[in-house]
Parts: sequence; structure tokens; C-alpha cells
Amino acid sequence: MTLDARIALRIAAKALVLFAALNLVFALTDPVPALGRLSLYNALWPGRARLPYGDDPARAYNLSLFDLNTMFASHELAGAPKRTDEYRVLLIGDSATWGWLQRNEDTLAGQLNAMRLKTADGRAVRAYNLGYPIMSLTKDLLVLSRAVAYQPDLVVWLVTLESFPADKQLAHPVVQHNAEAVRALIAEHRLRSRPDDPALLAPTFLQRTLVGQRRALADWLRLQTYGALWAATRIDQHIPETYEPAQRDLDADESFKGLMPPTLPKDALAFDVLDAGIRTAADAGARVLVVNEPILVSTGRNSDVRYNFFYPRWAYDQYRALLRDHLELRRVDYFDAWNLVPQEEFTNSAVHLTPAGSRMLAQALAAVIAGRG
Amino acid sequence: MMDDSIAAPIAEYIAGAILKNPKRAIKPDEPLISSGLIDSFHLVDLGLFVEDKFGVRIDDSELNADTFDTLDQLVALIRSRR
Amino acid sequence: MLATETSPPAAAGRLALAQAPARNLALFAASVLALYALQPAMPIRQMDFWLPTASLALTVIVWAATSSAFATRRQPDRATLTDAAFIGGIVLGIAALRFVEPLSALITRTSPPAVLSVLAALAITALLAVAAGRIIGPRSAWTTALVIALVALLFALKYEPLTQAFAALLRVTQGQSAAQASSLDVRWLGFSYICFRLIAALRERASSRLPTVSLREFVTYAVFAPALIAGPIDRPDRFLKDLRAPFAFNWPDATEGARRIAIGAFKKFVLADWLALLALNEVNATQAQGAGWMWLLVYAYAWRIYFDFGGYTDIAIGVARIFGVRLPENFNRPYLKPNLTQFWNSWHMSLAQWFRAYYFNPLARALRTRAWATPAIIFVGQVTTMLLIGVWHGVTLNFALWGLWHGAGLFLHNRWADFAKARLTSSQERPHLQRATNAAGALLTFHFVALGWVWFALPDVALSLDVFRKLFGL
Repeated sequence: MTLDARIALRIAAKALVLFAALNLVFALTDPVPALGRLSLYNALWPGRARLPYGDDPARAYNLSLFDLNTMFASHELAGAPKRTDEYRVLLIGDSATWGWLQRNEDTLAGQLNAMRLKTADGRAVRAYNLGYPIMSLTKDLLVLSRAVAYQPDLVVWLVTLESFPADKQLAHPVVQHNAEAVRALIAEHRLRSRPDDPALLAPTFLQRTLVGQRRALADWLRLQTYGALWAATRIDQHIPETYEPAQRDLDADESFKGLMPPTLPKDALAFDVLDAGIRTAADAGARVLVVNEPILVSTGRNSDVRYNFFYPRWAYDQYRALLRDHLELRRVDYFDAWNLVPQEEFTNSAVHLTPAGSRMLAQALAAVIAGRG
Repeated sequence: MMDDSIAAPIAEYIAGAILKNPKRAIKPDEPLISSGLIDSFHLVDLGLFVEDKFGVRIDDSELNADTFDTLDQLVALIRSRR
Repeated sequence: MLATETSPPAAAGRLALAQAPARNLALFAASVLALYALQPAMPIRQMDFWLPTASLALTVIVWAATSSAFATRRQPDRATLTDAAFIGGIVLGIAALRFVEPLSALITRTSPPAVLSVLAALAITALLAVAAGRIIGPRSAWTTALVIALVALLFALKYEPLTQAFAALLRVTQGQSAAQASSLDVRWLGFSYICFRLIAALRERASSRLPTVSLREFVTYAVFAPALIAGPIDRPDRFLKDLRAPFAFNWPDATEGARRIAIGAFKKFVLADWLALLALNEVNATQAQGAGWMWLLVYAYAWRIYFDFGGYTDIAIGVARIFGVRLPENFNRPYLKPNLTQFWNSWHMSLAQWFRAYYFNPLARALRTRAWATPAIIFVGQVTTMLLIGVWHGVTLNFALWGLWHGAGLFLHNRWADFAKARLTSSQERPHLQRATNAAGALLTFHFVALGWVWFALPDVALSLDVFRKLFGL
């Protein structure tokens, strides 16, 4: 072997050793959550008005990722120290609260803020959008358990039956990728979900290395980078000119998630998670307002069987009664907005509202929020 | 080795006609083209000057820093063609 | 110890002589295969086979036109026949892969055409090549006609209405509906670069500066795999020098090549792809509000295009280096140059050099001998050269405006330099002042170039003007 060949091989060997060492250190220290606290948002770029979510980054300047630190650090909430005259309202919920097909000023949070509400004692109501486009109370609890650190005065939790089925609580990527945090919540609140549920991912050693975590790292970097375009354009969602409207003509199908009439068993629904969230907010000194969010009440074909694509009438009616009784018993503030919005004011799903629909909900909630300040 | 009978008039031409500074000394190994001292238009002029003065044709595709960049290299090119 | 570890020079020489033919054969075969393998599929049937074949056919015809092989004797020599048979064999081999269906996907995107039509195409190419050799070869005036034909073809591929008509024509030959034709149908991989190499060879031939070159060497030059997609555009004599030099695989070249590839990959796949998220484009140009953010998009575009193209060039140069071919550099820290003239001596250098050698210099020479005034020659020369470089990217108003922007900039800088060097004292003796002017010049030049990209990056003039308005808060 020539000298040159030896030098070349030595360089290659050194590179290989360095690469392996880097991966090992990465796997042992798991720096992604720490990295997530580092954010260009609220520093170089303004914070985002809603949690990062999206699958069309090139047009929406936004993307879905799983590290909660990164997600919260990019939110305007993380860069907004609470003023003494602020009445801080956190909105927790699904895609309807996040504002699917809505610009930020048209979401529930945007509409509430535009009203410049004052509480009875003169504090300015400031609403923050912590909705996230996934229907699971456990996801809501995950977000809420972090959000209470930001000193809310009021937590408005918008729920709907689709978020309740107990056996679907863990079936969402953002829940699965935050397995440790979810296990901690299960233990703390003695939730019925099993900590060893295979849905809760346990990354292998290789998945924890630099190579295995490259997606998480790239997501972090992309989110920081898209902050510039968020700042430049204030766009965080691609809203198409046209969309497929939510189904009004329905199938004559009475089933709900495999359940048939006549009875919707209460233990099929994750009321334990709801209780955990209410406790979490209360422990943080915040009031809680649970809102049963508006649904599309169709008058189309088979609307005598179903309200909409999601819900057969029998199941939804029983859910409303169960929820009302459950919260009444625990003296939790409750606002049932289920039929507040006429069917014309829904967009592409039975829970997604038009800007006008959101305004109706905001106006209805304004009285409740300000009245209780 | 510098051939003064070739180098001297070229240096004089570059300093006087191209750089407009007759007192400017052109070093034999000073980059002329890659440094931007002679722009592409004056390079054509230089080519025409060499053609007139020494009867050596430097083709259009040879007017670049690869073919010659210094006075020394240009002198060598001219000598190789004479 | 050291002496025994390195091979004695004589042995290395023998080794090099032994390796060069094998290397050249490998580069040739790999380049022909890459021509097909890298060609993307198109909506027009079998074009992913026919367009690379057309590149090869044009190359062979241009070779015949520039070669003395046909002019001096009636029969082509044995080496030429062997090379021709080799090329034909590879093309037929690729076509024959249609009989072993899963294997054909290794080379072409879709199933190749029938072997009989491929044979016919090869025969027509051979006839045209012989004709070109007999008719054009001895008469250099005819090479000019061939250059014009190539330029016309290039124009047709860069001018949308003509490209669409061309697509319609191709669709008809393939029995497809011409009504569906779109300019996007014809994506002829590397043709701009192949075309420029062929024109370079024809021009060198016209000035009797093209060395005698075998068919195989010529094909390797024209479709050289590492430089196929985006250059650099080498000169034939320089390329042949490397191809004919003794070669032995050696670690210093291989490690240097690997280093260039690594740097290039980092520039292209990390920096450029990351900056692409922020770079100015048709969509964000309309959405961005505020001058500051708009500047950010423009800066991001400027660096993205540099890292993308520069990184690609690094990879091409690195790959070629491993095989002992030293492709010309294409970039030399262009954004640090103190003026626009030096910027164009260091940005896409092989293209700028090509235009200088085959357009600007002949034009300037011709106008000079017609005794035009110097500023007039410089103006016409600079502006038309840059206009041509602009429309080489595509015959659109925006590319033309980008070219004019740079042409005007070069002219202005030239006049300023002319004015300054006659009047201002030389700052050579004052290094601090020199450094300060260079820094200020670099900053100014970078911004001139960056603003130029506003024409280049966007599809229409109104949008570009809108961006300029936002940039300057007007």
C-alpha cells in the first residue's frame, strides 16, 4: 500500500470514528427537546398565532412536527409576558379552534381579540389559540398540561364527541411521538389508557442517534427558517379558493365508532381525561370553561338518522346529556354551542366554521368570558 | 527569461493605451486578465496590437487567462508562433 | 521507508499507460449510458430514448463535419468504424433491454422503442455523418451553417411557442394528440451544454485549431457524464489534453475529488436546499410585505442560486478529478468581487468564457477593424453578449431584462473604470484605501447582482417591478 493510500484510509477511518461518536453522544443525551427551547420565534421572527401544523410547507410556510418544546417556543404565547391588566384566555381544542381554512384574524381567538373585551374588573381579555388539528382529549390534555405554565386566567376547552372515544385517544402521531409525556400524564391522573399501549412509540437506540433523529432536527431547522416567511407574509396555512364542502346528504347509518343504538356507554368515552384537564387548569389557578363546539346540523338526505358525517343523532344526543350531567355534578362551567351555527356557516367538515360562523361563536362566548372575569 | 524586444513594446502598450498610465510598470509575472486589469474589450485590442506588431495571430478563443495571463506567458506564446 | 512505499516512477509510468485506455473506454461508455439514464421521462412516448439518441446523433454528425477522416479518404479508418460500432452497440443494447422488461428500467425511464426503428435511426445517423464529413468537412464556411442550425435548434427549445410546436411535431410522430402539446413536454437533458460544446468544436475547426480527435474522444467530450447536466463547458483542446495524458488511479487526486464532492454536496443539498425555503419566488413575491422581508427573500435567492450551481459544479469537478480529468472551474468567489467585470470573470466562468471566445471577441475584432468608436464597441459588445447569455436561459422578456441589466452594468463599470484610471491617482500605494474601495465595491456589486436576480427569478415584468417597488419602499 502506498503512503497516499494510507493517508486516505486514515482520513476515512477518522471520519468514521467521529461520525459514530457523534451518533452515540446524540443517542445518550437526546438533545432535541433542549434544542426545541431554542427558537428564533419571539426573537428574530414574531411568534406564531397558532401551533405549527401543516403538510404543504412550500405554500403554507408551516409544518407538522412532534417536539412540544419546539412547537410551544414558536407560539406567540412563549414571547408574551403577562401584563398586570391582562385577562389571559387560552383556547384548547381541535382543528375548529386552530382555524382550518381560516386566516388568523378569522379564528375564534382572532375574533375574540378583535372585540377588545374587558372583564368586570377592567382587565383586557387576550385570547391565545392553542388549538391543534387532532381530535383527541389526550392530545388536548398534553397541550393543556404545558399551557398552564403561561399563567392563564381562563381555559376555554372546546370539545366534541369525536374527541371522546376512549379507544382512539392515543391514535394520533403527536400523541404517539410524545410517549414519555403521555405516560407521565397517565400515571399522574390515573388515566384509563395503558402506559404500555403499543401506540406509544418507544424509539430504539438507532432511532435515537443523530441519523435516526435527522427528521426531527430538519423539522426544527425548517420551522425556524419558515419563521422568516411567516414574518414576511403572515401566512401559516394555504387556504385554497375552493374546497369540497362538508357532506349534507348522509348515509342511513346509525353506527358510531362501532357502537349501535340504543345506549352510548359512558365508559366508552374518555371522561377521565376531561376530568384530568379540568383538574390541571384548576390546580394552576385558572377557571375552566368547557364548550361543546358547534356542529353542522344537516337538513339533507337521511338527516333524520344523522346530524352530519360524524354523528348519528342518537349517539350525539346521549353524549350531550352525559357531558352536561358530568360537568354539572362537578360544578364546571359549561356552554353547549352545538346548534349555535347554521349549516351554511360550515366549510369542509361538520366542525369547521366559516369566519362568520366563528364570529357567531365568539359573540356567544364573549358574554360568558367577560361576565366571569 | 524575458525577451525585451517583445516584452517592452507590449508593456508600453498595456500601460499607455490600456491602463492610460504610461508610468505604470508591468511586472513580467503580474496577472493581467484574471486580476481584471485588462477587460475583455481591451484584450481584443491587445490581440490586434500583437497581430500588427509581431505578425502573430492570437485567436479569439485564445484571449483568456488560460492561454496567457502574464506578460511572460504572452511573450512565450508569441515566440512559439514566430 | 518512504522510498519503498511509493512506486518507482518507471513502474508508475507503465501503470499509467496501461490504465489510460481502460479509463477512457469506461468514461466513454459511462457517459453514453448516463445520457440515457439521467434523462427524465416525458409525456411524449419514448422521448426519454429518442432525445438522448438525438444528442448522440448530433454529436456524431458534428464530429464527422469537423473531422478530416472523410475528407482525405474514401473509407473511414478502422478506429472510426470500431468507435461507431461501439456507439451503435450501446444504443442497440439499451433498446434491446425492452425484451427483458424489468432490466430496461435500469437505463431508460420508459420502455425503449422497437429495435428496427432504432436500427433505422442509426443508419440515418451514419448516412448523415458521412454526408457531413464529405460535404462540410473540407469547407469551413459550411461549418458556419451547421453552427447556425444548432443555434436555431437551441432557440426553438428555449422559445416557448416554438418548443410547443416542436412538442406537437414529436407527438404526431408518436401517434399522440398534438392538441395536448406543451412546452414542458420537451425536457432535453443537457442539450444546452452539449450544443455549446459542439459549437465550440465547430468554431475551433473553422479556425483550424481543433486537434485531430477520434470519434470516441469527441463523444466523451460532448456528453461527458459529470458535466452533462449543468456544465462546466470545457474547451475541446483542454479536455483532450487530459484524456490523452497518462493516467493511473492515485489517492491524492481521489481524495481531492472526494473533498470537492463533499463540499459540493454540502453546498447543494444542505445550504442551497435550505435557502430554497426562503428564496424569492413567484408566490412569496406577491405575499411578502415590508421592504426588510423582501430584501431577505432576495438575499436568500442570491445565495441559493450560488450554492446550488456552485455546489453542482464542485460535484462535477470532483467526480471528473477522480478519473484524472480537470474540468475548468466555473465559480471563483463571485460575490466577493469588487466590480461587475470581475464578477463576470468569476460567475459561470465557462459560459462567460464561451461567449467571449465565440461571440464577444469576434464581434469586437470586427467592429474594431471597421473603426467604430471604442465606447460604441464596448456598449454593443457588452450589452448584446449579456442579452444572449440571458436568453440562453430561456427566451423570455425577464431573462432578456436580466441580461440587459448586466450588460448595462458592465458598460457603466467599464466607462467608470476608464474615467477613473485616467484621472484618479493609483491607490496601489495606499493599501488601506484600496481595501476600503474593494470592500465598498464588493458590497455594491453584490447588491447589483442580487437585484438582477429579481428579473431572473420571476416569470413576468410586472411582478419584478412590484418587488423593486417593495424593496425600496416606493
